[in-house]
Amino acid sequence: MSSAEFVQYLVSGITSGSIYALVGLGFTIIYAVTKIINFAQGEFVMLGGLISFTLIYRAGIPLAPALLLSILITAVIGALMYVLAIRTAKRASVVSLIIITIGAAIFIRGIAGQELTKDFIRLPSFSGEQSMSFLGAHIDPQALWIIGTTVVVTIILHLFLTYTMVGKALKACAINPVASSLVGINPKTMALIAFFLASALGGVGGVVFAPLTLMSYQSGVMLGLKGFVAAAIGGFKSPVAAVFGGLLLGIVETFVVAANWGPFTSAYKDAIALVVLLLILLIRSGKLAEEERAG
Amino acid sequence: MSRSVILETRGLSKAFGGLVALDKVDLSIDTTKITAVIGPNGAGKTTLFNLITGVYPASSGEIYFQGRLLNNVPAHKRASLGIVRTFQHVHLFGNMTVLENVMSGQHPRSSYGFLEAALRLSKARREEEAISLNAIKYLNLVGLGTYTDHDALSLPLGQQKLLAIARALATEPRLILLDEPGAGLNTLEKRQLSDLIRSIKEMEITVLLVEHDMPLVMGIAEWVIVLDSGQKIAEGTAAQIQKNPKVIAAYLGEEVE
Amino acid sequence: MLRRLKSNWSYLAITALFVVLILVPFHWFLGQYTTLMIFIGIYTIVTVGLCLLMGYTGQVSLGQAAFFGTGAYISAILSTTYGFNPWLAMLVAAVATGAFAYIIGYPIFRLKGNYLAMATLGLGLIMWIVFKQLNQFFGEPDGISGIPYLSIGGFVFNSSFRRYFLVWFFCLAVLLISQNIVRSRTGRALRAIHGSESAAESIGINVDQFKVKILVLSAVYASMAGSLFAHHLRYVGAQTFDFMASVKLVVMAVIGGLASVWGAIFGAGATHILSDELLLRFGDWDVIIYGLILVLVMIFMPEGLFVRLKDILERLRLRYRRRGAEP
Repeated sequence: MSSAEFVQYLVSGITSGSIYALVGLGFTIIYAVTKIINFAQGEFVMLGGLISFTLIYRAGIPLAPALLLSILITAVIGALMYVLAIRTAKRASVVSLIIITIGAAIFIRGIAGQELTKDFIRLPSFSGEQSMSFLGAHIDPQALWIIGTTVVVTIILHLFLTYTMVGKALKACAINPVASSLVGINPKTMALIAFFLASALGGVGGVVFAPLTLMSYQSGVMLGLKGFVAAAIGGFKSPVAAVFGGLLLGIVETFVVAANWGPFTSAYKDAIALVVLLLILLIRSGKLAEEERAG
Repeated sequence: MSRSVILETRGLSKAFGGLVALDKVDLSIDTTKITAVIGPNGAGKTTLFNLITGVYPASSGEIYFQGRLLNNVPAHKRASLGIVRTFQHVHLFGNMTVLENVMSGQHPRSSYGFLEAALRLSKARREEEAISLNAIKYLNLVGLGTYTDHDALSLPLGQQKLLAIARALATEPRLILLDEPGAGLNTLEKRQLSDLIRSIKEMEITVLLVEHDMPLVMGIAEWVIVLDSGQKIAEGTAAQIQKNPKVIAAYLGEEVE
Repeated sequence: MLRRLKSNWSYLAITALFVVLILVPFHWFLGQYTTLMIFIGIYTIVTVGLCLLMGYTGQVSLGQAAFFGTGAYISAILSTTYGFNPWLAMLVAAVATGAFAYIIGYPIFRLKGNYLAMATLGLGLIMWIVFKQLNQFFGEPDGISGIPYLSIGGFVFNSSFRRYFLVWFFCLAVLLISQNIVRSRTGRALRAIHGSESAAESIGINVDQFKVKILVLSAVYASMAGSLFAHHLRYVGAQTFDFMASVKLVVMAVIGGLASVWGAIFGAGATHILSDELLLRFGDWDVIIYGLILVLVMIFMPEGLFVRLKDILERLRLRYRRRGAEP
C-alpha cells in the first residue's frame, strides 16, 4: 500500500467513522439520561438526508436553509417520538421499551419510504465536486465537511454539557436521576431534551453524509447498528469514547476491506461491524462472568 | 465441628470495593436454638444472609454447613442441601396462584425434567401429585389452606409473608433464614408469626432470623447474635444481650422500640 | 372453583378448535384458505417457542428468524445436495440448531436487557449473511430450489391438503407439549424465574440453565418449522429470514401474548393474515403498520393482545353469570 493510498483509506475511514461517531453520541446521550437504548437512532440520520432532499428538490428551498430546517425537523420528530411512544409507556419494562423503539424505527422508516422517496438519493456537495489533493491522495471536499462538522459538533456538545445550565442538568440527571430530581431537575424534561439533542445529532450526520454517499429510507438500519457499536465501545457512558469508537470502527472497516482480508470483500463491509459488535458483546459477557465469580 | 452446630462461619468477610460490610465474623449456629441476628442499620445482617445463601461470594473466610464447606457451592444448589431463605420484600411469584407458589418450593425435592414434563410420563404425574399434596400440607401449616387458588399477590402483606414462609418450608430445609419476617405486620400477625416459628422449630428445622422488632426477637429467640459495623460485638441469650453495655451503646442514636 | 370452571371452558374451546382445524382444508368448508393455514401453522410453531422464550426469560429475541432459517437451510441443503432422507435432514437440522442455541446460550444470557437484544439482533443479521452465502454455494444466487416433498413410505405430501394435516399435526403436538411443560414443575420454574429470579434461585432453581434450556427449545421449534417450510415451498431464499422476519415473529409473539401457549395461534394467524392483507391493499404500508402495532401493543397491552382479550372475555363472562343468577 503506497502512502497515498494509506492516506486515502485513512481519510475514508475517518469520514465514515465520523458519522458512526455522531450516531454513537446520540445513543450515548439518550442512554445516559434515560437508560433507554433508542433503536431508532439510525433512522434520524436517514431522516436528515431524506428530508433535506425533499426540501431541496420538491419544495425548492435553497441548500443552506434546507439543511438547517431538516435538522430541526428531525430533532422535532425525535422529541415527538419520545412524547408519543416512550413517555406514554410510563413504567414499561426494558423489553417493552426495546420493542417500542424498534416499532417506532420501523414506523419512521416506512413513512419515510412512502412519503418521501423510495429511491436512493444524493444531496449536492457543499463545496463542489472537485476533489482536493492532500499528501498525494485525492480527497472529496465533502469528507472534510463531514469530519469538520463532527469535530465542531463534538466541541459544541462538550461546551454545552459542561458550561450551560441545561447541559449541566443533563449531566446531573445522567449521573444521579434521583438526586437531581430532588434539586428540581425534571427527568421527563431532561429525557425530552436528550431525545431532541440525539435526533438533531443524527440529523446533522445525515445532512453532511448524504452528499457523499447514496442514501435510502433503509439506510438507517446499518447506520444505527454501527452507531450502537461506537457507543458500546464507549460503554454508553462517555461521549468522548463513543466518538473514538465510531472513528475506530470506520477506520477498521475501511482498512479490512482495503486489505482484502478473508471474506471481507466490499460486499461484506457491513459484516465487519457485526463482528466487532459480537466481539464487544463477547468481551462484555466474559467480563460479567468474571465479575460474578469474583463477587 | 460438634454435632449440634448446623452452620459455622470462620473469619467471614465481605467487602464491596472499599466498603467493608462484614469483618472477620465467627459464628456458630446451634441446631436446636432459634437464633436471631440483630444490630443497627448497616451492621451487615443482610450481607451475612446473602453470603450464607450464596447471592455473592465471600471476600475471605469460610462458611460450613453441617460440616461441609459451602463457599463454592452455587446459590441454586444450596436449597437441595437444606438452606432456604425468605426475603425482606417477600418476592412472591406474582404470576402464580398461592398453591403454585408453594408447589414451586418443592422444586429441589422433585426431579422430573423437560422430557417427562413434555410427554406427561408417569414419573411426572406421580411427582406432581406428591408435590400438590405436600404443598397443601405446608399451606395448612401456615394457615393459608383456604386460599389455594387465589392469585398470590391478591393476599394482604401479612399473608403474603406467610405464603413466602410456606414456600420456603416446601423445600424441606434443615435451616431456614428469615429476613425481617415481622416487618409490616400488626401485633396479631406478629404473634401468629412467633407461633409459626416455634412450630418450625418443632419440625426440627433450625431458624435463623434477622429482625428489627425487639419485643418479637426477645420473645422468640433462644440465642441472639449482635452485629455492628460488620463485626460481631456480642452474643448470648435475649436477657444477657439486653443488659450488654456494648449492645446498648451500638443502638444509641437508633430508634429502640 | 374459579379455576375448574375455567378449565372446562378451555377444554371446550380446544375441542372446538380441533374440529374446525380438521374441517378447514375441505373445499366445502374453508378449503381456499388451506395454503394460508399451512403458513399460519408453521409460524405458530416458531411463535410458541418465542412466546415462551420472551415470556419466561423476560428477554427479547430480535433474531429468532436465524433459528427458523437454519432449520430451513439445513433441511434444504441436506435433502438436495446430499440426498438425505428429508426426515433425517429435519432431525439433523433440529439437533444442530439446538446445539447452536446451547452454545450461544450461556454467554448470551450473561448479557442483560439492551445488550442482549443487540446480541440477538447481531446474530440474526450474521445468519442472514450466512444464508446469502449458502445460496451461492448450494443453489442459485437467490435461493435453493428443488427441495423434495416429505413422504412416509409411498405416501408423498405433494398436495396442500396433505401438507396441511402434516403441518398442523406438528403444530398441535408442539402446542400440547408446550402446554404440558408450562403446567409442570419445569413450567413453574420458568414462571418463577419470570416472577423473581432471586427467589427462584433461593428455592433451588438453576436460573441460567433454565434460560438456556428454553432458548434451545425455542430454537428446536423454529428449526422444525423451518424444515416444514422448506418442504412445503420447496424453495428457500435468504430474504425470508432477514431482520424484518425476526420483527414479524416478535409481533406474532407480542400479539399472541408473551408466556402464552395457545395464544400463539392467534398471534401468528392475526399477524400473517394482516401482513397478507396489508401487502395486498397497502403495498409497503404493511411495514409501517407493524411498527405502529408494536408500539401500541407494548404501550397499552404489554402482556399481549390475546391475553388481554381473554381477560376481557373472562370479565364479561363473570358479569353475565352474575346477572344470570339474579332473579
